Amino acid sequence: MISMLGLYRPRRTPLHSAPAWFKVLMLVTLAIVTVAIGDPVTSVGIMCACLLLLISTEPPPRATLLALLGTAIVAALSSGLHLWRGDYARAIDISADLIGIVALALAVTCSTSMEAMLDFVSWAARPIRFLLPPETLGLMFALMLRALPEVARMYLESRQAARARGLDRSIRAIVFPTTTRTVGFSLQLGQALHARGIAEEAREKRQSRAAKAAEARVLKRAKKLAKDDPAAAARGGAPASAGEPMSREDAFDLLSAAPPGDAPQSDRA
Amino acid sequence: MIEFKDAAVVAPDSGVPILEPTSLTLTERHISIVGANGGGKSTLVRLINGLVLPSEGSVEVEGLDVAKHGPRVRRMVGFLFTDPSAQLIMPTAIEDVMLSLRRTIKNKHERTAAALAALEEFGLGDRADVSVSALSGGQRQLLAMAGVLAVTPRVLVADEPTTLLDLRWRAHIGSLLRSLPVQLIEVTHDLDSAARAERTLVIDEGSVAFDGSPVEAVAYYRDLMFGRVRRDSA
Repeated sequence: MISMLGLYRPRRTPLHSAPAWFKVLMLVTLAIVTVAIGDPVTSVGIMCACLLLLISTEPPPRATLLALLGTAIVAALSSGLHLWRGDYARAIDISADLIGIVALALAVTCSTSMEAMLDFVSWAARPIRFLLPPETLGLMFALMLRALPEVARMYLESRQAARARGLDRSIRAIVFPTTTRTVGFSLQLGQALHARGIAEEAREKRQSRAAKAAEARVLKRAKKLAKDDPAAAARGGAPASAGEPMSREDAFDLLSAAPPGDAPQSDRA
Repeated sequence: MIEFKDAAVVAPDSGVPILEPTSLTLTERHISIVGANGGGKSTLVRLINGLVLPSEGSVEVEGLDVAKHGPRVRRMVGFLFTDPSAQLIMPTAIEDVMLSLRRTIKNKHERTAAALAALEEFGLGDRADVSVSALSGGQRQLLAMAGVLAVTPRVLVADEPTTLLDLRWRAHIGSLLRSLPVQLIEVTHDLDSAARAERTLVIDEGSVAFDGSPVEAVAYYRDLMFGRVRRDSA
């Protein structure tokens, strides 16, 4: 996984020119198709196509070969059981599926910048923008990828430190420092994000939306009160006519003059 | 102008004072801050852009209260950390600068051009597409500076920006910082660099022990560290 990060190199290949949404869609579609099709010949064909696509992106050779080698080992282990049972077709199908999907994922990684991926994730997350701001989701995705090599580095350093102290076999001597350093790194990263003002726009928008919604609620309650209790409306200084637009100040004055149950409380903040 | 109005910071859990009530007005273009480890220097400068909020009193930047107008203040105040690794978020140099510019420049092509220009300005134009993990410590600090300054802040707070660097990079980054057209608040253990400022603060045990000319402040700090002066005699 770590070798997959930072594989992107700016090139002028067809896959580099393709938009991120197209590449992600292609990856998802082909992954579903390869898993759904149980025919080994088709799976091998798709695997070859994926490998050709990967080569077309001119990936860094060493990191790519290492990633593929790791996948080949996992594929061999996965299909071993089927080979042992004599189900050769299934063994070939599983291996080809796994290598094909990883090759295509590598092709997408090699040809898509994080900036483009961030734009795509932000765009794709727009339908759920009321739950989570798209920019924040995109940033979370980028941070996750950014944190992986750092955690790996901290793990390796902790392992070396444990070795230097003669604690090679102590899992605790490796896991504890790695965990505490990871937490420390997260705090530092959070402070840096805060200091750079990143993702604050999303928070500002959310706060502004919440403030507008609160104001709308206050106005609605004030109008209802003015309609139901004209005497209270008169005491609060509300507009004489029910159809007349009510300002925010009028609404607050009106609700403040109303019985406690109707008064605006946290909405005003 | 940065104004501390009796700003104090207390540890939230233990109630131990980290920074005693401090009143300061910082108007000079280059201000250096020196002091022993754990003395409260970083807390003081983190108050300037709201990374730490005062438990009492207030801090204002150009008349804006940091506690109330955090995002607006942070647009005016850039912050440079000791370890640039924690400040760099994106995988490549250009993408990291582009991340800073996302809010101000919506057009992607314009953003790319602005990021490239920022990298060129700091001598990193040829490293634009290089992974941040492949950059040297000095280059990472330069990149962090490019990312912070790309959004043209009025104030730059640098918290020991050269501590992790070798002598060559220390000199390079130091002279670059001093040449920037922003108000620079620099926390440093490099007394030569501190002495080049217009004003120097010595922070000790959570309060400003000395505030004055850099030469006198550095002399005072040396005496303080080697026990030749007591705090209450200052």
